[in-house]
Amino acid sequence: MKFLVENINKNSGRLGLLDLKAAGGGIQLKTPLLMQTTKGGSIPYLSADLFENYVQNKNGQEPVPVLLQLTLSTMQQMAESLALWPASLSHYLGFPGQGNVLLLRDPCESTPSGGNDRDVAPIFTRQGKESLTPERYMEIIASFKPDIYQGLCDADTNLESSKKRVQKSVDRTERFMDYIYEQHGKLQSTSSSLLAPIVGGYNIFARTQSIKHARQQPEGKYSGYILEGFHNNGLSATALDGSQLLPIVEHCVKQLEENKIKMMPGAYSPLIILELIHIGVDVFDTSYAYCAAVNFKALVFNYDEKSIEPRPTPFLDITDEAIKEEFVPLLDNCKCLTCQKHTRAYVHHLYKTNELLGPILLMIHNLHHFMGFFETIRSSIAQDKLPKLIDLVCKQNGDSKVDYSIEKNVKVISKAVVGKGFETTTES
Amino acid sequence: IPPLTYKVVAECSVTKARAGLMSLRHSDVNTPVFMPVGTQGTMKGLLPDQLIELNCQILLGNTYHLGLRPGIETLRKAGGLHKFMGWPRAILTDSGGFQMVSLLQLAEIDEKGVNFRSPFDNSECMLTPEHSIQIQNAIGADIMMQLDDVVKTTTTGPRVEEAMERTIRWVDRCIKAHDRDDDQSLFPIVQGGLDIPLRHRCVSALMERQVRGFAVGGLSGGESKHDFWRMVHVCTDRLPRDKPRYLMGVGFAADLVVCVALGIDMFDCVFPTRTARFGCALVDSGQLNLKQQKYKNDMEVIDKDCDCSTCKRYSRSYLHHIATNECVSSSLLSIHNVAYQLRLMRTMQEAIQRDEFPQFVKDFMARHFQTEPIPEWIREALAAVKIELPKDDATDATKEAKKRTTTS
Ligand SMILES: [Zn+2]
Ligand SMILES: [Zn+2]
Repeated sequence: MKFLVENINKNSGRLGLLDLKAAGGGIQLKTPLLMQTTKGGSIPYLSADLFENYVQNKNGQEPVPVLLQLTLSTMQQMAESLALWPASLSHYLGFPGQGNVLLLRDPCESTPSGGNDRDVAPIFTRQGKESLTPERYMEIIASFKPDIYQGLCDADTNLESSKKRVQKSVDRTERFMDYIYEQHGKLQSTSSSLLAPIVGGYNIFARTQSIKHARQQPEGKYSGYILEGFHNNGLSATALDGSQLLPIVEHCVKQLEENKIKMMPGAYSPLIILELIHIGVDVFDTSYAYCAAVNFKALVFNYDEKSIEPRPTPFLDITDEAIKEEFVPLLDNCKCLTCQKHTRAYVHHLYKTNELLGPILLMIHNLHHFMGFFETIRSSIAQDKLPKLIDLVCKQNGDSKVDYSIEKNVKVISKAVVGKGFETTTES
Repeated sequence: IPPLTYKVVAECSVTKARAGLMSLRHSDVNTPVFMPVGTQGTMKGLLPDQLIELNCQILLGNTYHLGLRPGIETLRKAGGLHKFMGWPRAILTDSGGFQMVSLLQLAEIDEKGVNFRSPFDNSECMLTPEHSIQIQNAIGADIMMQLDDVVKTTTTGPRVEEAMERTIRWVDRCIKAHDRDDDQSLFPIVQGGLDIPLRHRCVSALMERQVRGFAVGGLSGGESKHDFWRMVHVCTDRLPRDKPRYLMGVGFAADLVVCVALGIDMFDCVFPTRTARFGCALVDSGQLNLKQQKYKNDMEVIDKDCDCSTCKRYSRSYLHHIATNECVSSSLLSIHNVAYQLRLMRTMQEAIQRDEFPQFVKDFMARHFQTEPIPEWIREALAAVKIELPKDDATDATKEAKKRTTTS
């Protein structure tokens, strides 16, 4: 893996190019980059075929290559099979030729706290909690042979974590990483690139210590950074307060090697993502689009600078009875398959009947919308217009800041809302 | 042009099998055809575009479910189910009666219709023949079913005759209530339980009505396979040659092959998609339960001769890991299973056109029953249409199988 910063702009953050050799033929990915988050190695609800043909590959244009964000907490049970698999990891998942990054935690679901003992890191799988020693972790990496993987760390911190807890996460991460750095060079598949974890919650002192440990390593030990320990994944990330998060990230970015890629996994809101890009973070994921979809929200926030219409809410609530007979697309002028072929009324019906096609259609739209958002971000940076985009996303042509946090959908399907179909006949 | 035309394209020179072309308002349908079931206006986890890619020509929708949600008012405003669900090809709807009797414990039938309590607010409702047609007219399916009086296949005595007679009375009420005969074709349903004279009487009576096709109902509900094939056989013997024949609720591969040989043209079944949700993939030799440990490290595809998008990309090993765990697995296996059923039907159409159908049946049965003997009822049914399957070597095994079918 090679990373090249192409363009740094004082007002707008930076553009870069990530070159992945390991994916077989080699692919190039533009940053700021949106990884496709996965569960069990699949994009949630979408088969690889559906994704490539109906989401990634649009209007006959050359499809943009994809970096799959894989998580050990949803794939750990595949280690034995992957050790026997003769081709690439992406190929096993139905995505031959696409790149992949292996992370520890699933950004889509909230990660339980605890389980961090002196010598093990917990992962929370479908089967429950498992304790991972650094030795076992490197065995798994050798079986998976990912294009990129993260260093083992204790990232079980958030805004509320005590100073003591934060310090522990830094110390434990250092112990893990001493072993990982040593073993990384001995990996059979030398094509796997390592991301150095930076932890330390919201504590400047702890973050500095974590950064120091990474920067002490000899040149070439790792290829980039992953910044974790700001939230516990799932919906918690969507509601983060920028005024708390941004200063600490900025502090980190300033001390990290400039020409190395910087990744921040998690369902950060579109506004926070823009601010983080402005600071110099390069890689994000689609977990925000997923979290919205599974809570029956279609993303409709505006990032088209030509728009003037105010949009006070960034979501269309699919559970809203008011759209029952709206035979119009989820979002006007959206080019995604869902909006081209289906209506709000139909997606609402799929929600009410609890049909699998509902989340499928929502994922198609939300991914399309989010991927379009990142294209717009890159062109805004190229034109040095990111602040304008931030302002649009922040206020949506209105007067006040729009709320991007995603709340759990607690509505139950109401029994009163079924059609009158049968009742009308009782007279006849 | 009538909303349904049917033409026999080729007939098997040995069995009663025929290949046909049914032209409907929304698409041509090559028969024999398997219709995947899209109960609530969607095929479990598949996009309409994916079904078209699989060359699916006709879907089945359930009137009972669609009448409740989204309801006829919304369907009317949407311009019918085709537009509502974004499916441009043909649709067939059932009458809603069978769904009620099988899903609702409180359903009761009298001359007026089917009484039931709404599962949502427990209010008393009634589905009459007129109302079933009213909903089906709002849905706008290319083919609709009459409301019939459904009794359990194991029922005996005067209730069976009453149900058959009532079904004939109800078809007249349905025909009278049908508002869109220029767009939609109404099929009557042959009833009569497991009683050959009743079945004969029912077929004769229904043939006096102006209809464009026929359904065979009241089977595939727990009767012995021996009775099952015989009832299909007596119905197809008497039904007119120039109209399509639909056998309701049949979809296991071996049953499809036997019933095509007996002269059936249309089938439907939830089995391929239901079994997909439990992690099972259909293959000629039966089905693979991918959750089993033996598939954990099996790097082969489900079926190397299958050209579906799942077999192009995924190993059994990967599917083993995600089956029943990740939602996407149910879409992946549904695609394969629907592709399997549709391919089986296409293969039969081609075999009939080349007049090689009897050989196809023999080869299929040999592949399908590799580890167990061919059931005696299949031998009998096929012998009735002049296909003699080779004797099993292991005669003990055959006896064992015979014992099993007669006790089931
Ligand atoms: Zn859209
Ligand atoms: Zn297949």
